[in-house]
Amino acid sequence: MTVATAPASAVTGTPAGGPPRRRRVLRWLLPMAPALVLLALFLAGPILWSVYIAFTNETLTGSASVNSSFVGLDNFARMFGDPNFVNSFLLTFVFVIGSAVIGQNTLGLIIALLQRGRGRVTRSVVNGVVIGAWVMPEIVAAVCWFSFLAEDGTLNTVLGISQEWLYTAPMLAVILANVWRGTAFSMLVYSAALSEVPPDLVEAAAVDGASPLRRLLHITLPLIRRSIMSNLMLITLQTLASFGLIYALTGGGPGTASQTTPLYMYEQAFRYFEIGYGSAIALVMLVIGALFSLVYLRLIKVEDA
Amino acid sequence: MRGALAGSLALLTALTAAGCGGGGTQEASGAKELEVLYKVEPTWPHLEKMLGDAKKQYEAAHPGVTVKLTPVQGNNEAYYTKLALLNRSPDSAPDVYLHDTFQVNADVAAGKLAPLDDYLAKWPDWDSQFPDSVKQAAKGVDGKIYGVPISTDTRGLWYHKDVFAKAGLPVPWEPKTWDDILTAARAIKQKVPDAVPFSMYSTKIHGEAATMQGFEMLLYGTPGGTLYDETQQKWVAGGKNFTDALTFVNTIYREELGPKQADAHNAKLADKVNLEWFPAGKVGISLDGAWTAAAWKPTSTKPWPQWQQKIGWTAMPTQNGEEPGAVSMSGGWVMAMSSYAKLKQEAFDFIAVATNKENSLTYSVSTGDLAPRKDVAADPKYTADNPSVKFFTDLAEVTHYRPAFEAYPKVSAQVQEALEAVTTGSRSPEEATAAYAEALPAAVGGAGKVLAR
Repeated sequence: MTVATAPASAVTGTPAGGPPRRRRVLRWLLPMAPALVLLALFLAGPILWSVYIAFTNETLTGSASVNSSFVGLDNFARMFGDPNFVNSFLLTFVFVIGSAVIGQNTLGLIIALLQRGRGRVTRSVVNGVVIGAWVMPEIVAAVCWFSFLAEDGTLNTVLGISQEWLYTAPMLAVILANVWRGTAFSMLVYSAALSEVPPDLVEAAAVDGASPLRRLLHITLPLIRRSIMSNLMLITLQTLASFGLIYALTGGGPGTASQTTPLYMYEQAFRYFEIGYGSAIALVMLVIGALFSLVYLRLIKVEDA
Repeated sequence: MRGALAGSLALLTALTAAGCGGGGTQEASGAKELEVLYKVEPTWPHLEKMLGDAKKQYEAAHPGVTVKLTPVQGNNEAYYTKLALLNRSPDSAPDVYLHDTFQVNADVAAGKLAPLDDYLAKWPDWDSQFPDSVKQAAKGVDGKIYGVPISTDTRGLWYHKDVFAKAGLPVPWEPKTWDDILTAARAIKQKVPDAVPFSMYSTKIHGEAATMQGFEMLLYGTPGGTLYDETQQKWVAGGKNFTDALTFVNTIYREELGPKQADAHNAKLADKVNLEWFPAGKVGISLDGAWTAAAWKPTSTKPWPQWQQKIGWTAMPTQNGEEPGAVSMSGGWVMAMSSYAKLKQEAFDFIAVATNKENSLTYSVSTGDLAPRKDVAADPKYTADNPSVKFFTDLAEVTHYRPAFEAYPKVSAQVQEALEAVTTGSRSPEEATAAYAEALPAAVGGAGKVLAR
């Protein structure tokens, strides 16, 4: 958006010669051309291709990989008629709500709130631990949680019981692991937002006799509401597409008990080689992500108005 | 300003062109390279060793050609995916690759494989050393040969003699029916509570192993049981045979005669059974392939020399002891050539080196897979340290081959769905069979290719 204004101001200084509008467009377009070509080639191209593939019966091997044909909405009809897709869809919803909206978001906010006014040492230690989990590669985090939850793992040893957590409670396991890994992002967003809240406003409320909870609900939270919404939007989109952690921890199993939509998509596209069907699933996920974003954006607007 | 822009655009174009043409410049320089793709796992390093030998021999005999060995780390399922993705484009497709026979026809239909008949006709080993049954391993539906076998296999039952003794069961053990197996498993559960009575693969995570070692070993042991009706050339949709096979699996898990659910869904179940449970006397019976003993040999990651005293093996019986009394399934792996390979003669020459007597022997001895070559099978080194080899080779008399048509991998995926449903108990055998019958037409390309039962 700022890009569009820059050439406009530059144009005022140009001497008249040829239609100014065309020149302006050209001036803007020419330096951008390489970037636009690259974007079209490497971003728009694959996206359009996968949209097209979603309407074919293309496979990775077999005769349909050389003679794929246009099948219209067949892939989508099949998807919504497949109990495994419906199941994966519900699990994705549970995963996003549980690990992102409730888990990471709330925990991140709480940690950020608790850190306010603490000593530097406390803050560094807490930040270090939380961010440490965040910067850890997904697969390493998964291995850590695997050994923590395994039958002869740390958790069972500490509790003195024998329980196969990844088998008996796979969704809980992946949600906890994702909260553990992703909370740092929300914490950082909220730490930054809270530092913008004027301390005198909160102090004034305290002098007026408002309880800490009231000060939080009526002063702090309304002041950082935009951060809350942007944070929710970002972590929702991140979690919606989350694959590596679940794949490495449970592989979507047992059965389909933790098979969220990205894992279902992987199974169809890369294990059963149904690349057309897999693309259709990806397309549906894209639409769902867009819908979530729209809802959050609308909420931000409503609050502003 | 404009000049600079034009210059940078020209540079960009040049760079892109150079990037795209990378493959071409390499050939222009005169160096010839063959890329060979294969799979490797920490517990399965055997092929890597054999191909390393073959590379040295080949390069010594063919100056000017280098062999580039490209390993894929991971299990079979990961390998199938990687290979399918690399095969999408002529630029990334390997020239020669290890291929599971059940996927050959799908790749033939996709035009990914080169027929080898012309080369085989000029290779004396093909006629003199490969038995006719083995030659069929990678035969396309068009009758052409698409791969040279490096291993074949049969399947049967492995059991722990100490566990059997503790359970009061006879050794040697020769079950005649499925009920004999269940009876033995129940006795083990009762008298040796810390051992898993019967282990088999029955979940999606084990992929084709669940279909072949698990389900098909049962289905093909029922009277007339098959996935594909040869005479009518149609896929069989469920029926009593199918339900009976699932009922056996259901009984194993509902009576808790199998591995715990968490282990049944563990990708590393084979390592648990063979490297941990068998040596510790914690498993009674395992339904698995001829190669199982390779886990205990000196070349393994965890050798267990005592296995020859502790472990027994026997054939998988038919359902009620129907003729011929035993059942087995055979598949195997071949070295195949890509239809995209530019140096076809060189590629075939490498396949011939990799599957010559010396290399084939190295491979068969270390894996315990059955030797596809007559001269290897006759070599004393091949049977020397593995007393089970002769038994599993003889199972070839009762063995069945999968209907390895183009649609087979998809049918196999549906079988795994059914198997897993009865393993977890989410469906009864009848419900799982019905779901299979319902899903089959879409998997094989229409109701016209399905025979309702």
